[in-house]
Amino acid sequence: MDSAWIKTVALCRFYRRGEYIVRATEDISLSVKKGEFVAIVGASGSGKSTLLNLLAGLDTPTSGFVEVEGSKLSSLSRRQLSAYRAEKVGMIFQSFNLLSNQTALKNVEMPLYFGKTPRKERRKKAAEILERLGMAERMDHKPTDLSGGEQQRVAIARALVKNPEILFADEPTGNLDEDNSATINDLLLKLNNDGLTIVMVTHDIETANKIAQRRIKMSYGKTVEDMILPENNTL
Amino acid sequence: MTIRDLIEISLGNLWRSKLRSFLTISGVIIAIAAFVSMLSFGAGNQKYITDIYVNLGLFTNMHVFPKDKNDSDTATIVSLNTAAIQRLTDIPGVKLVYPYDAFEINVSFADSHFTTQARSLPLAATKIKLFAAILNGRTFSSDSADEVFVTHDFLERAGITEPDSVIGRELIICAKAASLDSALMNIFDDKDGGMQRRLEMIEYDSLIDLDYRRRLMRRELNEGVRRFVEGFMSRQLSIYDTVIIKGVTEGLKSHYINVAPIIIPEKKAAKLSAGGFGLGRNPIDLYNAARAGMLFNSDENKESRTYSRVTLNLDPYASQENIKDSVEAMGFRVFSFAEQFKEIQRFFLYYNLGLGIIGLIALATAALGIINTMVMSIVERRKEIGVIISLGADVREIKILFLAESAVIGAIGASIGIICGWAASRVVSAVMQAIMEREGVPAFDPFALPVWLIFLALAFGITVSLIAGYYPASRAAKVDPVEALRSE
Repeated sequence: MDSAWIKTVALCRFYRRGEYIVRATEDISLSVKKGEFVAIVGASGSGKSTLLNLLAGLDTPTSGFVEVEGSKLSSLSRRQLSAYRAEKVGMIFQSFNLLSNQTALKNVEMPLYFGKTPRKERRKKAAEILERLGMAERMDHKPTDLSGGEQQRVAIARALVKNPEILFADEPTGNLDEDNSATINDLLLKLNNDGLTIVMVTHDIETANKIAQRRIKMSYGKTVEDMILPENNTL
Repeated sequence: MTIRDLIEISLGNLWRSKLRSFLTISGVIIAIAAFVSMLSFGAGNQKYITDIYVNLGLFTNMHVFPKDKNDSDTATIVSLNTAAIQRLTDIPGVKLVYPYDAFEINVSFADSHFTTQARSLPLAATKIKLFAAILNGRTFSSDSADEVFVTHDFLERAGITEPDSVIGRELIICAKAASLDSALMNIFDDKDGGMQRRLEMIEYDSLIDLDYRRRLMRRELNEGVRRFVEGFMSRQLSIYDTVIIKGVTEGLKSHYINVAPIIIPEKKAAKLSAGGFGLGRNPIDLYNAARAGMLFNSDENKESRTYSRVTLNLDPYASQENIKDSVEAMGFRVFSFAEQFKEIQRFFLYYNLGLGIIGLIALATAALGIINTMVMSIVERRKEIGVIISLGADVREIKILFLAESAVIGAIGASIGIICGWAASRVVSAVMQAIMEREGVPAFDPFALPVWLIFLALAFGITVSLIAGYYPASRAAKVDPVEALRSE
């Protein structure tokens, strides 16, 4: 698809820290097409995660705007914004952010609570996605009983259970060892091959080069590079 | 999200901080237990009184009294006499009218001789719910039967411990009744020579003097009146009769209804109380009879007999308002049990309200505990809130999640509190009943747990918890997801 599914126009997000103003992102204009796998790379503090939060509708820009399928996020009500996050967006984090007192299955079910999915269907969908991600045997385990890789797979299952149109991944392999990182990267690539749009934040350029189709580099809140990666990126 | 989901999630979150949840819920339990036990005391007393009204059929009874000078709207005092009773009987909706006629009698039973109160009761009145309940459904064989009912009070005075042993036994009763001829005879009775002395004292020569004649007349008139009253009061007829004890009733002790220790059929009582002259012992009867110009009417049903009170038994479907208006229009005062019951209900409403407010103060303290717990919970689960927001929960759903947790605290606390409150009231009730029995007061359960109280306590527990949880829930809804996700 040629047209942009999500785009930003002159997006700025400034924070006040005491007397200083932190320019987390400044004048970012970019667009992501449906089905793309975009890696946002950069050093710590370069504004990658802030950009991701703005794209996911978790944060509000100081100026500029985010447009999804032609609608500005800033024009949406709080409820519509929640609906955007619930229905179109999936998010995974570096620290997995699973609810520690709930089983893997319950964690995956969680996004379905905020809607009208019947209880049985909710359980069925969550079990199916966990099975698809190879977690069938571990669905009744609590996060503390799972390895880092397994926890991230549960987090991915949770992000995918509502069939989002885009997946925002914030350093998804940042807390994982090499083997687990490879497994997760492989999984993300597979999902992208199945048509899921992915925007991944990472400080690891090598991984970005391996799995993404496009790499955007950020430095001091600005995009300093936006390049299409060679076609043969496979793990 | 269904209610079941909310309950499950809330229970899971409360289970995470067991000790804190336990302490918070304990606060609610204590508050609700206090609330329930206090209100159940009010409810128990209310039920006790309501049961008396229902069991005795008091809702269909009215007392009628003659007005007195103290009544503000009294123009003329209308006597509550036999004629008035007839007029009251004619009011539509009035089924039965019977006077309250109590008098003193001397009784001889077995080896006991004592003075006690007797009350007359028409046969028809024994069949209405009030007396049917008191007399356990039994009646006299006729209005002039030689039968009586006695109460436990009578048995106590007679030293009888086995109530059944007196049924069918004879009782000798003696009533004194005033007589006009005794009173008149006493004026001329000269057994102490007083008349002779007074005749000797007359200065016949002075009779020519008008002043002397007047003084003499006044003196003799005063003496005549004194002798008349003395004769009326002291030279009374003693009327003896033998009656059979038909039954024993619980009387006063069971229902706090004014039942004399001996209940006598109406016509039998009329002979005893009026001594065949239609006048009782009471000098007021004499005054009323004289005032009505019927002093020497010897008819048994003569109108000179007045009563301090008559009772109307009403058709349950008749308008009590209309009946009351009709009676008041006749110039009488009315006491309606139905109205009294309404007043009692109103009293209990305020009483329960007062007790409820005291209970709510305890609940307010528990609410502070809930606020503290929930605020702590939000601080600890800040990141979790951020995650939930990132998963698509909106402000409303975050609020609901935390309000549900407060409601679950309230519901658990209230449910256990109701049980604890009821258990506490059972213990207090047992102690109170033991004390009542020891003091010779009829024991009753002063506590009751009606269904409305269960629902009220549950509703209060949950509502107060929800109110307490509103501020923390609002704080949770305001959590910045970006900040929350960044926090560790």
